[in-house]
Amino acid sequence: MNWLSPQARAAIQRTMLPILVLLSAAVVVLGKADQLLFDSMRTAVTDAVAPILDAFSRPLAAAGSVIDNVQMLVNTYQENARLETENARLLQWQQTALNLSADNQKLRSLLKAVPENSVSYVTARVIANSGGAYVRTVLIDAGAEDRVARGQAAITGEGLVGRLTEVGNRAARVLLITDLNSRIPVTIENSHVNAVLAGDNSERPRLLYLPSPDAVKIGDRVVTSGEGGIFPPGLPVGVVSAIDAGGPRIEPYVELSQVGYLLVVDYGLSRSLPQPVPVTAKTSKRKAPAEDDAATR
Amino acid sequence: MALKVFSIPALPRVNNSAGRILPVATTLFAALISVLPIHIPGYAALTPVFTLMAAYHWTIYRPDLLPPLALFAIGLTEDLLAGSPIGINALLLLLSRSAVLGYRRYFVNRTFPFVWTGFTLLTVVALFGLWAVHCILDLGLFDFRNTVIRAALTIAIFPLASFLLGRAQRAVMGTG
Repeated sequence: MNWLSPQARAAIQRTMLPILVLLSAAVVVLGKADQLLFDSMRTAVTDAVAPILDAFSRPLAAAGSVIDNVQMLVNTYQENARLETENARLLQWQQTALNLSADNQKLRSLLKAVPENSVSYVTARVIANSGGAYVRTVLIDAGAEDRVARGQAAITGEGLVGRLTEVGNRAARVLLITDLNSRIPVTIENSHVNAVLAGDNSERPRLLYLPSPDAVKIGDRVVTSGEGGIFPPGLPVGVVSAIDAGGPRIEPYVELSQVGYLLVVDYGLSRSLPQPVPVTAKTSKRKAPAEDDAATR
Repeated sequence: MALKVFSIPALPRVNNSAGRILPVATTLFAALISVLPIHIPGYAALTPVFTLMAAYHWTIYRPDLLPPLALFAIGLTEDLLAGSPIGINALLLLLSRSAVLGYRRYFVNRTFPFVWTGFTLLTVVALFGLWAVHCILDLGLFDFRNTVIRAALTIAIFPLASFLLGRAQRAVMGTG
């Protein structure tokens, strides 16, 4: 800006701050009114920064595993004793499972049941999380290049982590089940009662729309119900851990803040997820897609 | 909203380019480390506001080298990466700059406790404001405890951040 006179430069300096403050405020309001407006910008920036975040998060993951190793070393004795008892118990379960599996196969052949959908997995590393108290998402280092798509489920060996909401070429964002915007159709395994698991940014999401408050009790297993066709039925989610005034809360099986790697699973169901459409009530000027189709025909 | 504009006093010229980009680079770095996944239970919600520390430090010592446009870009980048409502961190950083510039002369060449007290006030106001804005945007009340703990962590870590930034400033710019 050296070609400008000092007065002009001073004038620009003076007006820049208020202009940018107003611009930021406008962006906040616009971004809220039309959530899709900045979506492509978001994926572009995420894609561009993903390699840097990837490089930064590697040593952190390594440090985390060093701490884990030390902890394991300290607890070896108790852990061994615990595992031996658990192993004895699991061996009994294995027998039971084998019997049941044989039974199941026989019964399935009687029913001519269709085999379950084949699934494909992509393993991804968590490269960033949402710093702050108001969103619960993580970024992973897999994107469209790895054939990851919006709506797919993110899981670990323990259970459901969340689902993919934004997918760039190299990175994707996972909306955790604890996020304020997360709603997942679930079933209480014992009672077969359906409910919706709603995140509220706390560590323990709530169960909504239960037919009666005593339909669940503490310790009940909660799994996905498969309703809505986004997740397959039966994915473990968590256990009912508390029942307070706001309804039951569940403790997710996955320790969400500790997830380093996760699996993105394509159950072949994500195609049923509708593409994002702007909120119709707020953007009534826009035509509904069906009207659009009719108009172009 | 007081948007009074305070002219930036003439500061000693920094002749090396590393020195000139240091404020922007460190603030951008702060934005990146605030989204890094640190595997501590509950950490994500309580992540200290690293960008606020850098913005405060540089607004006091070198406001000329961390211009509003850079703050806007860095705030926006942080929003896009963290998945938070877009523009909100940009707004936070710019308003903080505006507030700090007004009182800058009370902080320059003062002892650290003075600077820290100023940062404490700024953090309390900024994080309460952030909480209020999020409540309005989501039409609900967020748990206020997270905000309190986050503010406490941010204030507690500031001396370390300030020390490191000051060290970098002296090493690269030769002033500070």
